[in-house]
Amino acid sequence: MTEPTLDQKPVHWAAKMHAREYNEGKLSRREFLTRATSLGLTASAAYGLIGLPAPAQAQASAQDGGVLRVQMSVRPLKDPRTYDWSEMGNQTRGTLEYLVEYNSDGSFRGMLLESWEINEDATQYTLNLRQGVKWNNGDDFTAEDVVRNIERWCEKDAEGNSMAGRFATMIDESTGKAMDGAIEVVDDHTVRLNLPTSDISLIAGMSDYPAAIVHSTYQNDDFTQNVGTGPYLLTELEVGVKCTLERNTDHTWWGTEVYGGPYLDRIEYIDFGTDPSAWMAALESEEVDMLHESVGEFIEVLDGLGFVKSEIPTASTIVVRPNQLAEVNGMRPYADKRVRQAIQMAVDNAVCLELGYSNLGRPAENHHVAPMHPEYAELPPQQVDPAAAKALMEEAGMLDFEHELMSIDDDWRKNTCDAVAAQLRDAGFKVKRTVLPGSTFWNDWTKYPFSATNWNHRPLGVQIHALAYKSGEAWNEFGWENAEFDALLADALKLADADQRREVMAKMEALIQEEGVTVQPYWRSLYRHMREGLVGTDMHIAFEHHHYKWGFAA
Amino acid sequence: MGLFILRRSGVMILTALCLTFIVFFLTNLFPNLEKLAKTQGNFRMSDEAVISWLTKEGYMQPLPVKYGQWLGVLPGWTLETEDGVTGRCIDGTADAATAADAPRFCGILQGDWGYSTVFKDDVSTIIATRLGLTGKLMFWVLVLMIPSALLVGVLAGMREGSVTDRTLSTFSIITTATPEYVSGVIFIAVFASSAVGLKWFKGTATSAMENANFENFFLPVLTISLYGMGYIARMTRASMTEVMTAQYIRTARLKGVSFPNIVLKHALRNALIAPFTVIMLQFPWLLNGVVIVETLFNYKGFGWTLVQAAGNNDIELLLAVSVVSVIVVLVTQLISDIGYVYLNPRIRIS
Repeated sequence: MTEPTLDQKPVHWAAKMHAREYNEGKLSRREFLTRATSLGLTASAAYGLIGLPAPAQAQASAQDGGVLRVQMSVRPLKDPRTYDWSEMGNQTRGTLEYLVEYNSDGSFRGMLLESWEINEDATQYTLNLRQGVKWNNGDDFTAEDVVRNIERWCEKDAEGNSMAGRFATMIDESTGKAMDGAIEVVDDHTVRLNLPTSDISLIAGMSDYPAAIVHSTYQNDDFTQNVGTGPYLLTELEVGVKCTLERNTDHTWWGTEVYGGPYLDRIEYIDFGTDPSAWMAALESEEVDMLHESVGEFIEVLDGLGFVKSEIPTASTIVVRPNQLAEVNGMRPYADKRVRQAIQMAVDNAVCLELGYSNLGRPAENHHVAPMHPEYAELPPQQVDPAAAKALMEEAGMLDFEHELMSIDDDWRKNTCDAVAAQLRDAGFKVKRTVLPGSTFWNDWTKYPFSATNWNHRPLGVQIHALAYKSGEAWNEFGWENAEFDALLADALKLADADQRREVMAKMEALIQEEGVTVQPYWRSLYRHMREGLVGTDMHIAFEHHHYKWGFAA
Repeated sequence: MGLFILRRSGVMILTALCLTFIVFFLTNLFPNLEKLAKTQGNFRMSDEAVISWLTKEGYMQPLPVKYGQWLGVLPGWTLETEDGVTGRCIDGTADAATAADAPRFCGILQGDWGYSTVFKDDVSTIIATRLGLTGKLMFWVLVLMIPSALLVGVLAGMREGSVTDRTLSTFSIITTATPEYVSGVIFIAVFASSAVGLKWFKGTATSAMENANFENFFLPVLTISLYGMGYIARMTRASMTEVMTAQYIRTARLKGVSFPNIVLKHALRNALIAPFTVIMLQFPWLLNGVVIVETLFNYKGFGWTLVQAAGNNDIELLLAVSVVSVIVVLVTQLISDIGYVYLNPRIRIS
């Protein structure tokens, strides 16, 4: 690592500020690293800023060779753009690679793309392809291949093609295909995308599991025969039973020079059904070396058995929110900002995490942007003060009002609502809990006056805000309409550069907190257990398996 | 005798026809077809898309026609589209000339068992592999179950009411009263998990599919055998006690034959007639137990295939599973009837 930043630009001022904060003990080492690297610093430069030597890269200590057995459900494969399970992407990822790789720290790095540039208002993307990449049949990987794949993604009429949603900006409504001139070949290794409106989420879309890059000879009948650019070959696929990836020894993989690896000779996916106790039995009986995901109570049990745990915080979360438009007994109880603020002030997010989700996550800050989001801006911590909350509620004249907190009938969502309700009662509010069965809960989920909803991880913070916090959106369950926020969001959605977007995001986050839009108590973490002696096999934030990083410790 | 076998075969074919028709009818109910369309296509398909998918795949034809096609007595459907011809007997989309060359009939009468929508493979290959794996499991179950059941039964029945009898009877009642899903879980907890800490065996039999050894295969074998063992042992005991009170046994004792000799030379042969039938009748029960045990131990045999096929409404695979089950049940009964004649000369089949 010679250059301090990924794009060879000067070190960001905020990284130096965070280094000072670290030295003053305000930031943990891990927190510092996350922030500094998301500001574009390389990991070793980040360590250098705080005067620590970079740890020897885990990859470097992986030995060559070995067979890794992994528990994962083995699914039937279909056209990658119609994939609906991340497992499918993992089965083909060894062969069919992606343009961009999404990493657990929330960053994107080029795979088949060497780099990309996005113009000021995010209407023009220049994709620079990596030089020297070859398909495993000997063909060169060129701009033609990228254009063909993006055109495939834009075919809206193809049954089940979910990539069309990610690339909707550049699809012509009338033809259901990519617009004329939207995809432009500049030269053999450069492709330009010209968009009619701003869209900063295309790079994220290219990293998602249905975006596997396929060859011109691609077919759906026999997946072991497909040509790809990756270091492994899918040699065996028995649905529901087993899937084997073998190192392709006849093919020189581009990534060995760039990122190192691959190390393993073979990767075997073995299907142990859907029962987590069977997964545990498999790991315990040494039938597999690693699980795809550890869930629920088994996390603690597997910890107890001495397996190595890998944890990754995600932006999957729950919001316990009042709906500002909802009417109860002829009035709108949550239209008053003071009522919402009082609710937020009375709830300690750490308590919700502990009681609602057994501490399997990280506390959140009520604004629905997580630390791994590139545009995350840190705000001063909020105060939990039940006494002040009660005073505020009294001032609003709503202390006698009985809040009805509704939740779905399941484990963690119900428990979290119970924890919120208990804290509201402690603050002196009247709260009634209603638990609805899963079959009826979703019919009206956006309209309940006070209820809880779970939200999945998305790579960019603005994506969630655009879906759920913008005025009038179908999924705006908060009933929140704020012109100032909408204007800020419109600005942010044009800023492809995360640093510029962060400045706007800081205002948006503050506004969501200030308005008391929601209680958003914690971020859920994902877990994976494995036996000792594996390297590079950490849990991934979006369940992806990056096979070339995997290996046995030397 | 020949006529008897012939009549039994007739019954078998009739039963198979009736059963497959029932399965066919149930799997072809519209909600099931809709589920199939959505799992094969896409979960967010609209109602029109579901109908168009089903029509395209030939599922919207009348039930008797579809059943006839599956049997191979009616010609398979064909559909002409812009890209070419698709059909039951054609792989993928073919041009008109290839389509004309394709066979008209392709049902089980022609040896074509169809294509599994879950496993994306030919049904005949799946059934052959999975039945082979279950065969391996069954073989070891029988090797363990029959000798131990007979031994327990004979020992218990030798002296009715003795301490040995009471102990062994209690043991066999307990084992036969414990269903596989209870005993299997207990065995895993005691012998395979760190909860008790014995860890003698492995709690999953996945690796036994390729490479079975005592460590990874004993628990599933034991779980199935124990259940059947108690039942057979009870039957053997009953039969043995009856024989032991017979006149000729008393005569043998009076003339001074030693007790081991009475049991081995005089009693045993006659006492084993009844258990033979019971053992043959256990086969259908074993198929039943296999479904639970294979799922529990993640051993991907015939029972597991049944669970997967039923869970995903995989019509042709489910039909093949039913046909095989009918054959297994009726063939074992046939063997039991014929074998009985040879063991017991007092019975004649006319």
